[in-house]
Amino acid sequence: MSQVVIDVVSKDYRVANETIAAVRNASLIVERSKFVSIVGHSGSGKTTLLSLIGGMVSPTSGRVLFNGEDIYTWTSDRLSEYRCEKIGFMFQSASLLPILTAKENLMLPVAFRSQRTPDGGHEQKAEDLLHSVGLSDKINAYPAQLSGGQQRRVAIARAFMNDPELILADEPTGDLDEETENEMMQFFLRMNKEHGTTVIMVTHNSDLARQTQQHFRMDRGVISHV
Amino acid sequence: MPTLFSFAFKNIKRKPLRTGILMFAIALLVSALVFSLSFVQRVNGSINKASERLGADLLIVPTNARGAAEEVLLENKIKSFYMDARLIDRIKVVEGIDKVTEQIYLVTMSTMCCSVPEAMVIAFNQDTDFIITPWLREKLKHRLEKGEAVAGTESSFNIRLGLVEVDSMLFGNVFRIVGTMDPTGTGLDNAVFITLENMERIVKSGKAKVKPGEISVIFAKVKPGIDPSAVAMRIENSIIDVDVMARKDIGKNILSTLGDMSRIFMMTIVLASVMAFFLVWAIFTAIANERSKEVGIMRALGAKEQHILRIFLIEVLVIGCAGSILGIVAGTALSTLVATTFSIVKQLSTDLSFLERSAIAVVSFLGGTAICVFGALGPIQRLKKMEPLMVIKVE
Repeated sequence: MSQVVIDVVSKDYRVANETIAAVRNASLIVERSKFVSIVGHSGSGKTTLLSLIGGMVSPTSGRVLFNGEDIYTWTSDRLSEYRCEKIGFMFQSASLLPILTAKENLMLPVAFRSQRTPDGGHEQKAEDLLHSVGLSDKINAYPAQLSGGQQRRVAIARAFMNDPELILADEPTGDLDEETENEMMQFFLRMNKEHGTTVIMVTHNSDLARQTQQHFRMDRGVISHV
Repeated sequence: MPTLFSFAFKNIKRKPLRTGILMFAIALLVSALVFSLSFVQRVNGSINKASERLGADLLIVPTNARGAAEEVLLENKIKSFYMDARLIDRIKVVEGIDKVTEQIYLVTMSTMCCSVPEAMVIAFNQDTDFIITPWLREKLKHRLEKGEAVAGTESSFNIRLGLVEVDSMLFGNVFRIVGTMDPTGTGLDNAVFITLENMERIVKSGKAKVKPGEISVIFAKVKPGIDPSAVAMRIENSIIDVDVMARKDIGKNILSTLGDMSRIFMMTIVLASVMAFFLVWAIFTAIANERSKEVGIMRALGAKEQHILRIFLIEVLVIGCAGSILGIVAGTALSTLVATTFSIVKQLSTDLSFLERSAIAVVSFLGGTAICVFGALGPIQRLKKMEPLMVIKVE
């Protein structure tokens, strides 16, 4: 069964008296454990498409299916559970909470889980993930004590904290240097390969896109297979 | 792992000045509430206790001495007022009257040793009394003889008698204190009681204002099933020389004054509550605006509306509870220290019991915390409804 199905989805925004079509009749099928990239110019609707898949904004028309279920027929709480337990998000910026350390930022999604194991080894897992992204020495550092690139790596690690089935990454390596960008791409590829995590990545970088299994392009809200 | 509690606590510590201001505002409000409630409860309780324990259905005093009698009984003030003793016989025969007893109030123990505080001397009729005798700590083994007296609990303490018999001086006459009364919570606690026979010695000595054949007050009990107010009206209609107070009317004047003061206090509390409410609302609106992005991040990471609500409610509850506790401590200290300068409270014999103080603390705690929670609820409700997309949009 396809893991993610975008079924003729459109999303319009009302800005002042104008209607802006961010996504137009988009259709997309992503199979389980695939690594998919979406490239496109700024304002082409890539972020909105990820938001639609992530259950963060409801479509104007069409359906978004996850494991065969239309996620926008779910209640607000179930959508939250979906975001918490099935999805790992990476936003355009690191989006860390400033009052939490790197490790605490990683463990925050665990606090929102509807069913928590008494001692699921969460601390160890957070430390391991931080180690995987090269931040073993920054476990107890606050975001303000980290560089932009380090913050971004914390956010990447956080996305994997709840063992999601699907990673939605919006320009995840946007402000990383080339070397770190490659390291992070290898990390994604490893997680995809070893854990079977499906990844949908939005990027400007066509070199990165070429390393994924399926490529799509978005232009003015319209998605097309490359 | 960060729990919702630890996360909320970290947020509280984030802006200590703002948190402090909010706590201080709640503490001020709660301390005002504790002070007001303590004041009102103390006066109210003292009056109720006095009228309940009086043991008489009717208090009959000379015309226009009603206020003075209340002051003696409720406020421990030292007053004297007299009427013709023959009025007792006229009262006795009024329809509905079961039994009567009289008392004479002497102004002060004027010749007592300088170390002894001023106190009332009350002469009572040992044969008919039903006011004093029930309060004797230990039953007297014999009738009070000449030169013997009984002390109210406060008087006893003041003249450092305890239960020990010690000689004391009343109007130049030597008296032995042979008994101590239990606390009554009325002005009787500050009096020294002697019999009418003893009174004759003082009257004859000419040192007191009272003249032979005068009494101060008549206490009356009505027959079972008879309405005391009806009997009181009957007495006032037939005997113009007296004013009559039914038990439930005792303290009415003070309660009326107290009612005005209570209303002033309540208005102040309401205004302070409204101010505190808006302060909390304004601060939490600012907090909501500041943290909207963080809430968006949390929503995108899977936080449900109830998680957001819980985080902010913990914050507001901690601030409200801490402020309320501070306010209770400050308000209790204020009511204990400053209230003694209020003459109406200073004169009262009854202090608040631990239970009453606890009840006031609980009510004030709940009041302060509730205002804090309700003030913050609007901004929190708006915040928890925030769509997770917000976080992406503001990037």
